[in-house]
Amino acid sequence: MTGLLTVVLFLPIAGAILLVFLPKDIPGPIKGGGLLVSLLTFLASLAIVGRFHDGIGGFQLVESHAWIPQWGINYTVGVYGISLWLVLLTTLLTPVVILASWNSIHKHPKEYVISMLVMESAMIGAFLAMDLVLFYVFFELMLLPMYLIIGVWGGKNRIYAAIKFFLFTIAGSLLMLLGIIYLGFQQVHLTAGGVPTFEITQLYGLSLPPHIQTILFFAFALAFAIKVPLFPLHTWLPDAHVEAPTGGSIILAGVMLKMGTYGFLRFVLPFFPDASIHYAPLLICLSVIGIIYGALVAWVQPDMKKLVAYSSVSHLGFCVMGIFAINQASIEGSILQMVNHGLSTGALFLLVGVVYERRHTRMLADYGGIARTMPVYTVFFVIAMLSSVGLPGLNGFVGEFLILAGSFQTHPGYATVAAIGVILAAIYLLWLIQAVFFGPITKDENRSIPDIAWNEIAAVVPLIIMIVWIGIHPNTFLRRMEPSVQQLLATVRGEQPEKVMTASLAAAATRSPVAQTLLSVRSGARMRGRQGLSVGVQGPKGAQTEVSVLRVTR
Amino acid sequence: MTWADTLLLLPELIAATGASILLIVPVLGGRARGHMAKWAMLALMAVTALAVIGSTYAVAGVQQTPTFRAMFAVDAFSVFFKLLFVVVIALVTLLSEDFLSEERYSTWEYYSLLAFALCGMMFMASGVSLITIYIGLELLALSSYILAGYYKNHEESTEAAMKYFILGTVSSAILLYGISLIYGVCGSMRLSTIAAALSTMLSNDALMFGIMLLAAGLCFKIAAVPFHVWTPDVYVGAPTPISAFLSTGSKAAAFAVFARVFYVAFPAFHLDWSNVLAAIAALSMIVGNLAAITQTNVKRMLAYSSISHAGYSLLGIIAMNEMGLRGILIYTMVYVFANLGIWATILMLRRHAYAGESVEDFRGLHKRAPFAAFSMVVFLLSLGGIPPTAGFIGKYFLFAAAVQAGFGWLAIVAVVMSAVSMFYYLRLVVAMYLEEGSGAETIYSPSLRFVTALSLTVTLVVGFIPELPIRQVIESSSHLVGRVVQR
Amino acid sequence: MDALTASIPLLVFVVVGTIAVASSILVVAMRNPVNSALFLLLTFLCVAVLFVMEGAEFVGAVQVLVYAGGIMVLFLFVVMLINVRALPDDRILSPYWTGGAVVGAAVFVLLVALVRPGVYHEQNDNPLALRSTTVNARHRVVQPDGTTVRKRYTRQQVVGNSEAIGMALYRDYLVPFEVASLFLLVAMVGAILIGKRELGIDDEDVDPQYIVDRVAEEKEMKEAMSA
Repeated sequence: MTGLLTVVLFLPIAGAILLVFLPKDIPGPIKGGGLLVSLLTFLASLAIVGRFHDGIGGFQLVESHAWIPQWGINYTVGVYGISLWLVLLTTLLTPVVILASWNSIHKHPKEYVISMLVMESAMIGAFLAMDLVLFYVFFELMLLPMYLIIGVWGGKNRIYAAIKFFLFTIAGSLLMLLGIIYLGFQQVHLTAGGVPTFEITQLYGLSLPPHIQTILFFAFALAFAIKVPLFPLHTWLPDAHVEAPTGGSIILAGVMLKMGTYGFLRFVLPFFPDASIHYAPLLICLSVIGIIYGALVAWVQPDMKKLVAYSSVSHLGFCVMGIFAINQASIEGSILQMVNHGLSTGALFLLVGVVYERRHTRMLADYGGIARTMPVYTVFFVIAMLSSVGLPGLNGFVGEFLILAGSFQTHPGYATVAAIGVILAAIYLLWLIQAVFFGPITKDENRSIPDIAWNEIAAVVPLIIMIVWIGIHPNTFLRRMEPSVQQLLATVRGEQPEKVMTASLAAAATRSPVAQTLLSVRSGARMRGRQGLSVGVQGPKGAQTEVSVLRVTR
Repeated sequence: MTWADTLLLLPELIAATGASILLIVPVLGGRARGHMAKWAMLALMAVTALAVIGSTYAVAGVQQTPTFRAMFAVDAFSVFFKLLFVVVIALVTLLSEDFLSEERYSTWEYYSLLAFALCGMMFMASGVSLITIYIGLELLALSSYILAGYYKNHEESTEAAMKYFILGTVSSAILLYGISLIYGVCGSMRLSTIAAALSTMLSNDALMFGIMLLAAGLCFKIAAVPFHVWTPDVYVGAPTPISAFLSTGSKAAAFAVFARVFYVAFPAFHLDWSNVLAAIAALSMIVGNLAAITQTNVKRMLAYSSISHAGYSLLGIIAMNEMGLRGILIYTMVYVFANLGIWATILMLRRHAYAGESVEDFRGLHKRAPFAAFSMVVFLLSLGGIPPTAGFIGKYFLFAAAVQAGFGWLAIVAVVMSAVSMFYYLRLVVAMYLEEGSGAETIYSPSLRFVTALSLTVTLVVGFIPELPIRQVIESSSHLVGRVVQR
Repeated sequence: MDALTASIPLLVFVVVGTIAVASSILVVAMRNPVNSALFLLLTFLCVAVLFVMEGAEFVGAVQVLVYAGGIMVLFLFVVMLINVRALPDDRILSPYWTGGAVVGAAVFVLLVALVRPGVYHEQNDNPLALRSTTVNARHRVVQPDGTTVRKRYTRQQVVGNSEAIGMALYRDYLVPFEVASLFLLVAMVGAILIGKRELGIDDEDVDPQYIVDRVAEEKEMKEAMSA
């Protein structure tokens, strides 16, 4: 099945289009339909894992079609070790979100589900796109549904928060568009083809002059830093989280913020290796400031949701630090931490939403001792919290440990400071638990809160399962990302004499006998160990495409 | 000059004849049948469109064929713009229906003037001599002045027409002075002859001054800063369909002229004038967008937004490369359709009240008119340049052209200002979707619905499958670009 | 003496040009519209003189006939008809006039600096070149076998002043010239539309009887007022 990625990508949007034609006043079937579509998408994405070959660092399951041939813009999608788990995270969180909002969204349920599904497609598209312009299109497409989710279904200050979110993000991403165009045309001068190329595999390993790298580095890094968000640019995040509905917060924290860190890994490091290495201390410094600052601000928050929001700033600081420490362990930890953060923060937002649903307040002061009235809920919350703290045996520990261990090798000073962040996280989260769940019940309303409901349990259980799985057996996940990370590091360090197994090859493999031969050659090369091979292959459009075979390292 | 030449002039002849016939009809007793005027006008537009398409077959391969002593040319570039103009005028006709039936103004004369304006625009698109371009522009301008003052009984409309007239005349005089200086230096008003004369010149201050005056005159027509002051008042005061026309058709024609004159005649002096135009473009983008943020009247906001869009489009002229010219063509098209769609929505809202165009009127629109609200969002996103709408394709071209031509700083200004522009476009989205409220009464007539649907289709189709329109644009602009490359 | 005769055209140009500029300023400076109109007439005449000096006798004559003769009469007609004797005495100059004057002076200086001898394109040495034109004609040619056929040929021909203008207008600049006629038509339509008395909503139809009634009504009103 060659169209697997396309199916996963467009299934939610197709579902959303079908939902448009349903009448407005039947919330049950609408939500059910949305759930069904998102579950189907999840199943389809499991098939991606099934078809994913562990040992390959390059892109797999690549599909390529011409989209705007005049500009060399193609619809090219592919998955590799770094994006695989993020796609899975997206497809997992969407049904969770729809389940979690089953009873909490009363206003315009149809539009809500449609926004969520469009959002899912856009996010998957951004993870899968192998063409820069295609990536940009999905990157922007994410904004509108999120804007509506915050703006329509949000709290009191929702319009301010929605506009702030939108403007921050678009300001960064438009500059990135300029960078993308510039990058595409750099290639024109180099190849003298006349048509720019935005295919990322062809742009990897493009050794640009340092000053150009610096400019482009900042154009891209700004967009992603806003999205992460990195320390001075984070101000939109607490507003957006506080105002967004529970589902919106889960998606925002769980997946959207990962666009930033993912963007660093996928574009910034391999495109501008020299600039990345040169400015890595700056970004690490900012992320460490973010870690400490986020943790300290989280500590003093009276509002549970804001607390979790600031903890996101802190946790994502770890991810960025891991990325810019630029070594195998830290980057793997960083990718894993992206997934972890999606799971644990998603679960926390979801659970905060559960009590908010019942009491319509998120203030810590309004709770206390609810462990007695909501025992099941408390168990889930404590697991999610411990995962966020980084308790050994749960997922957070693996990610943070890898990041810190990796960073110690390159930036011991920063890593030490960042480690304080872990301790602070334990302090503010345990303080949250203490204030909300234990101690005497001070408010009478808290004596009769109903415990967590079936749909909420159904939503949170998959997250808890994943939290435990990653914590106990992280190798399931690390194994698949390892080759891609190695390859990324090779690109950054400029070690690769041959280019990576490219999209064109895989795309051509289905129709061109030459490419099929190449594929078999590749497996031969794999057996013999390190070996590079470069052969001309007839590309999809008849153009002679330089295709090289991946250097296999083990 | 032969009869075949006259055949090439057929679209203009048809438009002019049709306009005259529309003028005569009421005298022949058609005054009572005002509702017929719309259909007569649409039929005229259809015939004109056919003639435009037909004229392309008269020219082999649609290469440039100057006729009438190189005063007039039918080429792919002019055909592209002429078809765009015909569509714009037809849509404006549809937009005008309600306004005319409500206000009981003389219908036939109104459409006749629109047809004359179309005629002027077609001469602008086809003119390969400064004098033809100038006279076509004047024909368009004069029709626009009258149409802007068509609300004779409204003080604002009269004031708008007066302002537009006086400032327009001054700008015409400036333009004419520029032309006379250029003529003096080059000894010809034919664009190709000017280009040939310029290619042997090193530098000439009088010529530069002439080019600057010419650019100033054209900048007035496209409403670029600092020649923009008339725009907000005129857009607010003029009858709404005419505002729609001024912000789309009239501007598109001015851009056709801008592009042809600068790409054909002045490439040799690109280094000299590009920086001045770059300053104008940057100012337009900054002033237009910043001023638009503070507006509460939607028409005024659109006026300032159209000023900023003039700035974006100028990037294509400043860049002076293949990408830039294509960018102007496609951006003009994209902008025209997005804007017409927005004006259709405003017209829907503003019935029965003259001044009710505030942002508040849009509150909760998605409940009362879901289709209109959705289309409006698409149009606004298109103006903001957000994918996957057509606006992204247009902006992509223009930004890429600027980057390619080494005007990176200008592209950065454009990008930052695009982000700023989202701020006020979003205000409308917020009002429509996020705010509750009864807002203004809406009556969505079939004509308005048709205009919205057509604009929406174009905006989305160009956004999603841009291959075909881009190919068309490349064909339409290739012969002008060829000249630049030869340079 | 030769120097003197050679400088006579320059002298005339300076004098006539000064009068033209000065009177055109006075056109806008005069408070009495009739005076303005008369100064406008003077400007037209001076410009006509300048045309004649440049060898464009026909244009000069047209200038006198059409502008000075026709258009000025129309102006005066309108001025007399609406019977404006003088404008009110209060100051009507915009407070920004100093700014305008400065800008005007700056542009003037700029032009004087820029447009100097040598910047304009080279004229042909032959002054008649401007008036030479290609003419299509047919004439009989006697063939060797005795029959005659009509053959087309083109030749360069120096034509008279008015003929040159005719050639320019109706051949070289035919398209702009014809568009100018459309322009004038639109101007006329606009003038009528704006000047037309607005019909009420009830009497949309142009009923001749309505107009007659209205005229009679107004007559009565006027008589009543004068009485």
